[in-house]
Amino acid sequence: MLANSKISNKMDSKKVTTSSENSYGKSLKGFFEEVTLLTRFTVRFFKELIKPPYEFNEFFKQSYLIGYKSLPLIAITGFIMGLVLTIQSRPTLAQFGAESWLPAMVAVSIIREIGPVVTALIFAGKVGSGIGAELASMKVTEQIDAMEVSGINPFKYLVVTRILSATLMLPILVILSDVISLYGAYIGVNLKGDVSFDLFFIKIFDKLVFTDVFPAVIKTFFFGFVVALLGCYKGYNSSKGTEGVAEAANTSVVYASLMIFILDMIAVQVTSLFS
Amino acid sequence: MKKATGNKIRLGIFVSAGFALLIVCIYLIGERQQLFSNTFHVSGIFKNISGLQIGNNIRFSGINVGIVDDVEQLTDTTVKVDMLIDNDARKFMKKNAKAIIGSDGLMGNKIVIITPGTYGQKPLADNDVIATEQPITMDDILIKLKVTGDNAATITSDLAIVMTNIREGKGTIGKLLMDTAMANEVDQAVVNIKQGAGGFKQNMNAASKNVLLRGYFKKKKKKDEEKDKK
Repeated sequence: MLANSKISNKMDSKKVTTSSENSYGKSLKGFFEEVTLLTRFTVRFFKELIKPPYEFNEFFKQSYLIGYKSLPLIAITGFIMGLVLTIQSRPTLAQFGAESWLPAMVAVSIIREIGPVVTALIFAGKVGSGIGAELASMKVTEQIDAMEVSGINPFKYLVVTRILSATLMLPILVILSDVISLYGAYIGVNLKGDVSFDLFFIKIFDKLVFTDVFPAVIKTFFFGFVVALLGCYKGYNSSKGTEGVAEAANTSVVYASLMIFILDMIAVQVTSLFS
Repeated sequence: MKKATGNKIRLGIFVSAGFALLIVCIYLIGERQQLFSNTFHVSGIFKNISGLQIGNNIRFSGINVGIVDDVEQLTDTTVKVDMLIDNDARKFMKKNAKAIIGSDGLMGNKIVIITPGTYGQKPLADNDVIATEQPITMDDILIKLKVTGDNAATITSDLAIVMTNIREGKGTIGKLLMDTAMANEVDQAVVNIKQGAGGFKQNMNAASKNVLLRGYFKKKKKKDEEKDKK
């Protein structure tokens, strides 16, 4: 009896190990499958991008929705970001008697790093999830299939226009957000001090160099591309009905946010190689 | 249709504003780096540039007039620094001007400070080599500070020995301050001097009334009165 129970215990533990190994193997296999599908999706995007006809009207419409319509949200967060960063940095700089460095320090932080990354994250939250949910709901309600039947290339019409718009609109949003952040920083500096706008302006541009501005702007093209690409990919390939819509919206934001940080890390390394 | 046109106009304004701000930003940074202004080249040879980098400011009379264009190691002990300076400042920089590497505040970047040179000299020309002075590095200051500290330590130890001797009543000052017997003797000496001075005064009064010396004292009194009148 005892011997039998020992044997059955051993068999149970073996079963657990095998099933966990299987689940790891499955998830690893699933990850590589996903990478392959995403690569195919990206290659298809570039192919469809250069191939006529071009959906200019849809591109302008998406640019308006993705870029212009995101401006109020980006402007508010940018302003708060500049203001808060200035207020938080002041005590530390005051300890060294270096309060006069506040405008330059805040400007370099915003333009190099905080502005592009925070704006891209908010953009991922608003635009990435929106694209994911919109395409997923079109997929589950078979609107995409209907488009194909009616002779419209849904990939070109829905995916290419959205990815291109996001890639081009995010850098503009980041530039505007940076400027609004700097205005917030100017107000932050003047909450406890008295610095004229001219002096604030001179102090900022005294310390800024091209290697602060160009890499920061260039990386935002990649951020915009990744946000829209993941949103489109998740939405375009969604299934499982309404549950799939929620999943597409959620995963596109999560993966886009993660990719923004990974791309930022790579961008910093590449920039430090050249500067 | 009308709405679509309105949206396109809004989008156009949005994109134009973004581009305009980027161009303004590029122009302002470029202007600070002398990209759009009329400039001339000057170079200087230094032994040690103390971390000076390309892009650091050139300062003349406290005004930023240019930037460091290039830094090149010539030999194991010489470094050539090329400077790009605004042409408007050239007329004030004479041939015997000197370049010194300084610091922008206590924690700031390195800068090149150019002294104006003497009046009457010709202004610097394009591609001139300017005279340089070696900067005072933090290491130099620390070495001098160490020597001063060592000297202060020697002085304070000598002073401690002197104070111990004084406290123990050794030496003239020690005896003067600490020896009570000597203090009594000094007191007695002062009393004796007072008594001696009193006796001397009496003798002089007696002498002034003596027949032999009275004439001399009268003449002296007259001379003193005449002096006072004058």
